[in-house]
Amino acid sequence: MNIQRISAIFEKDIKDFMKNMMLLVLPVIPIVTALMFDGIGEDKLPLALSYVIVGGTFSTVTSSCIMTMMAEENEKKTLRGLIQSPASLLDIIVGKSLVTGLITLISLVVSLVIIGIEPFLNFRVFVGLILLFLFFLLLGIGIGLFSKSLAATSAYLMPVIFLFGFTPMLNAFGFAEDSMAIKITDMFPIMQAIEIHDTNSWLPMGILAVWIIGAGLFTYVCFRKSMTDD
Amino acid sequence: MADFTINQENISDAALPLFSLTIYDSHVTAVYSDTDMQAELMRVLRGDSNISVFDKQEGLYSRISVESNVAFYHKWFGCHTPLPEILVQFELQSCAKQPLHQCSESEIRRIYFAKYYMSGVKPMVFHEPIHGVDVRTVNTFITMLQKIKDVATPVLILVSNMEHALLLGDIAYKLQQTGMKQVEIDEEDIVTSEMEGTDLPTTANLFKISAKVDDKMILFDPPEIDYIESQDGKAMIVINEESYAMDATLVEVEQKLKVYGFYRCHRSYIVNLQKVREIITWSKNTYSLRINNKIQSTIPLSRTKIQDIQEKLSLK
Repeated sequence: MNIQRISAIFEKDIKDFMKNMMLLVLPVIPIVTALMFDGIGEDKLPLALSYVIVGGTFSTVTSSCIMTMMAEENEKKTLRGLIQSPASLLDIIVGKSLVTGLITLISLVVSLVIIGIEPFLNFRVFVGLILLFLFFLLLGIGIGLFSKSLAATSAYLMPVIFLFGFTPMLNAFGFAEDSMAIKITDMFPIMQAIEIHDTNSWLPMGILAVWIIGAGLFTYVCFRKSMTDD
Repeated sequence: MADFTINQENISDAALPLFSLTIYDSHVTAVYSDTDMQAELMRVLRGDSNISVFDKQEGLYSRISVESNVAFYHKWFGCHTPLPEILVQFELQSCAKQPLHQCSESEIRRIYFAKYYMSGVKPMVFHEPIHGVDVRTVNTFITMLQKIKDVATPVLILVSNMEHALLLGDIAYKLQQTGMKQVEIDEEDIVTSEMEGTDLPTTANLFKISAKVDDKMILFDPPEIDYIESQDGKAMIVINEESYAMDATLVEVEQKLKVYGFYRCHRSYIVNLQKVREIITWSKNTYSLRINNKIQSTIPLSRTKIQDIQEKLSLK
């Protein structure tokens, strides 16, 4: 870890982000969704729908941002000559994660303020959101490491958005209440975050932690692979 | 000890001849070869993880400004020279705020130079550094080479243009199928040019220079010739892009052509002074002549000859 390098990549990526239309529209998507949900007119948005926005923010902003940034560096080979060791790749990942974190924070806070932030001002909910952020961030880094082009990331992003981002919406497919599909999707990170929000049990946090470890392993494998490739 | 050696023997490669080349940190080494051989050499060099090859293949950040790009590399490599000084050294101050996609090729090249310079790795290998860029950029590159040399970094430059090799390298080599041969950049080769006698031709015989192409004998009027260069001891007449082999050596030709306003401007070049359009002065006292022909070719001018040529052209 080298603070100077991390801050170099952070500054560079913030400047690049401001000039990149493709990335600039991403944080707007959840905000627009929030405005639409808010405009439906009901007094209070159901929790599941609030979490659709949370999941949407994490998948379309967090995962997508870091994935796009890493894939672009891969595609344009801009990192050639900069990476001499695994440590310098780590510096790059940390720098980019900081940028992603900042953008996610802005987008999430604005969207939540639009739909009413009060239910989220709670320590347990905070922890749940941070765990979710880590999960989506690791997933994004992993995919970003192995995808060689920007076009490929759009394809990889789809399952992330629909499976992990919009999990609460999957019920709309009309599966039976006790079907296998529902039982599995109930285990997904967003559903566990809703559990954390709703109940006082610590079990959902454990399950969420398992998801994060899984995503971490996936990222680690991709990291090793990208280091040995060159 | 910052010198390094490229040893070809342990690489079983049919396309490259066997050679061993030691690159010293005290002077810049340039290797001239044709593009095929150069591609092979590049492949070998890239395979060696201890050598950084600067071939401009990697991308820069095209959305952000020149200054932001340089600032990023400056910080990343932890360069000790202040950022404004780097921008001035590589003449990027005037386009500092422009995004990269609006920059000219020469400006982009200077950003690459700045990046490579700041990376501070040893040894450095450059691939065609000044191919197709303007005079200003060539000058910044020469200044940069000087600075790199000051910190005892061995530098190897691969070019496919003999003129570039002679301009940039303190030692120039020619890589051919037969092996690696040093090109002599002899400053004090006055001996050969002093040898000519005083018996200038007085008869008005028609004088032609002959060259052989296949079985034909082609005759040239001396004023048509742009310049004559020496390749492997043989003199070659160059007219625009074409070159024709002569049977004579450079010294013999020089004798004959002297009266027609030809001048031995370099150990391996004789130039037609009537076709000289420009004398280019690079930093560190090196010079080139630009020829007024279709492709505006440039040929090297020995630094010992600069006085002489100025007299010849009545510039002094």
